[in-house]
Amino acid sequence: MKFGHEYQKALANEGFPEQWRGSAIDYKYLKKCIKKVHHEMEDLGLDANTIHHLSEPLDDTMKARPIVRLDGFYSAAQPHLDTIVEEFTPQLRILVDAKTGTPLDATLTSETKQSLRKLARHERIFAGRQAHLGRHAVHEIHGNAHDSSDGRKSPLTTETSDAKWIEVPLSSARSFFDLLAPKLDQLEELREAETRKLEADVLNLGDAVEDVVEPVREGFEAKRDVSYRDLYFWREMFRLYVENPVFYSPTEQNRGGFTYADARKRLESYDQKLRATGLYAKLKTPQAKRAAKQFFDLNVDILKIMHFQEMNAQAMRKILKKFDKRTHLEGKLFLKTLQTKYPALLPPSNRSAVGGAAGFANSIARDMHAELSSKVLSIVPQLDDWNCPVCMDMAWRPVNLGCCQSHFCIRCVIKMQDDGMVRCPTCNAETVVMANGTNIDFEAMDFLEKYFPMEVKRRQRDNEKASLERQYGEAFTKPGCLVM
Amino acid sequence: MTAPLPKRIIKETERLQSEPVPGISAQPHDDNARYFDVMVEGPGGSCYEGGIFNLELFLPDDYPMCPPRIRFLTRIYHPNIDRLGRICLDVLKNNWSPALQIRTILLSIQALLGAPNPEDPLNEAVAKQWKENQPEAIRTAREWTKLYAQKK
Repeated sequence: MKFGHEYQKALANEGFPEQWRGSAIDYKYLKKCIKKVHHEMEDLGLDANTIHHLSEPLDDTMKARPIVRLDGFYSAAQPHLDTIVEEFTPQLRILVDAKTGTPLDATLTSETKQSLRKLARHERIFAGRQAHLGRHAVHEIHGNAHDSSDGRKSPLTTETSDAKWIEVPLSSARSFFDLLAPKLDQLEELREAETRKLEADVLNLGDAVEDVVEPVREGFEAKRDVSYRDLYFWREMFRLYVENPVFYSPTEQNRGGFTYADARKRLESYDQKLRATGLYAKLKTPQAKRAAKQFFDLNVDILKIMHFQEMNAQAMRKILKKFDKRTHLEGKLFLKTLQTKYPALLPPSNRSAVGGAAGFANSIARDMHAELSSKVLSIVPQLDDWNCPVCMDMAWRPVNLGCCQSHFCIRCVIKMQDDGMVRCPTCNAETVVMANGTNIDFEAMDFLEKYFPMEVKRRQRDNEKASLERQYGEAFTKPGCLVM
Repeated sequence: MTAPLPKRIIKETERLQSEPVPGISAQPHDDNARYFDVMVEGPGGSCYEGGIFNLELFLPDDYPMCPPRIRFLTRIYHPNIDRLGRICLDVLKNNWSPALQIRTILLSIQALLGAPNPEDPLNEAVAKQWKENQPEAIRTAREWTKLYAQKK
């Protein structure tokens, strides 16, 4: 009751676009449907308790063989092509005496039995038609297994060895699923459309950022209205973003999308951090400010669709649970079918229970996380990608030994050679001994000078000092007065 | 006068604190940032499971050009670790590479606990027992773990 209310309120007040609201799961109406199913079944004399009772195994010591089972939702049309939509028809299958149509259980009320008998007669008439469709609705069950189970049966039941299943179609249950299925299609469509839209936004943003951070030669700065310092602020912004992922946690220990509530908190704290460090204020040009806003707005958009999908996933879970509880038909079977059809909506693992994002929200979080990292965040190179594995600082005068992809500082390679090392530290190939000036990767060097001008300058100073130290001894570079 | 701490050591220490390896911790001393107190949990499924082993780790001046020096402080019954706690592990000796780090070395040590190698022994007596009567050796290792490697 409470959830339905909250759900309606959230849908109305969270500022979702009209078009989204149309595809939202109609929780209220579905609830009414469940009531109808409930009534319909009661009319048949099958209240939840009866069904529950019938569904129980006959005897604990015997092999569990339920008398009634919901045979789920067989498709009326054989799915020969993927384009044909399968129709789910919820049905009850009840084991009855073949001749009289009396259900094989003592505890049913006479009223129920009556209606079931009627159904059985009905069944016989329809059996022919069903057979015509290539489907035998009546399954004869012979055998000793049944006989042995008869010991507990009511005296009313004649000791026949024949029993059969009758099928009770539930039209209102069907309308429940009829209503639910297209909603899911709509949600899936919406997800696709929104993902596409967001992807386009990401690309736009990528262009904007690229435009802003494109390193420029001195002198062009004024003309292009771009400050090379902006590059550093963007780098810092993105570094913070990567270190505190908003939507999706890529770490080994805790992989998976965050829930909407978590994601919102994370985005808020990210925003606060940016404000606290004064990064926003430091952005120099109007373009840069615009791009920064664009970046933030995009995050908010992603958050919104996540929220919407998460709400729907929750509504879906709740309504199916309610369906189960009220009717004792196994909506779970339906859920399983849905899982195979929309793997993105309802991941088979019970991740949602442990606090991750559920359903479409999870896949949106993952997709957008990947999209942002590959299309936007990668535009601004991060220093960590250019660290020398030996000194863990930026690889100055990057040397590629030709054996693997690692870049080392020229200083570190010289040091290794001085120490008599032979093998590459990362891949163990015997390349260090042979390294010389030709191993300097000039392309990478240019790149670093372009994107990390401040670091390159600092490293250059370090290197000059280290080189002097190597030549003249440590005392030479020590600060302070030195009387020769 | 001590040389300033290389950036690499600062970075490694930071990362050990901010993203610790599960089952391993390394804490630098306040007065000597090159000296670490290390704690390694015995790997699950091994005869050291449930044990908490203390080690000391020192980064020599040449680090990372030479390997860190590491020693078990907790007594342990293991063919590749001797009575003084010294460890026989290739990456701590000839196979050291400057691209290895404190965290990778500690992981290697944890893995060594999970896979004792009596063919390349440091502790002859233990290795002999390990080869001749493995169940007995494993039992002893369990006992020692219970005896010496419990949380204080």
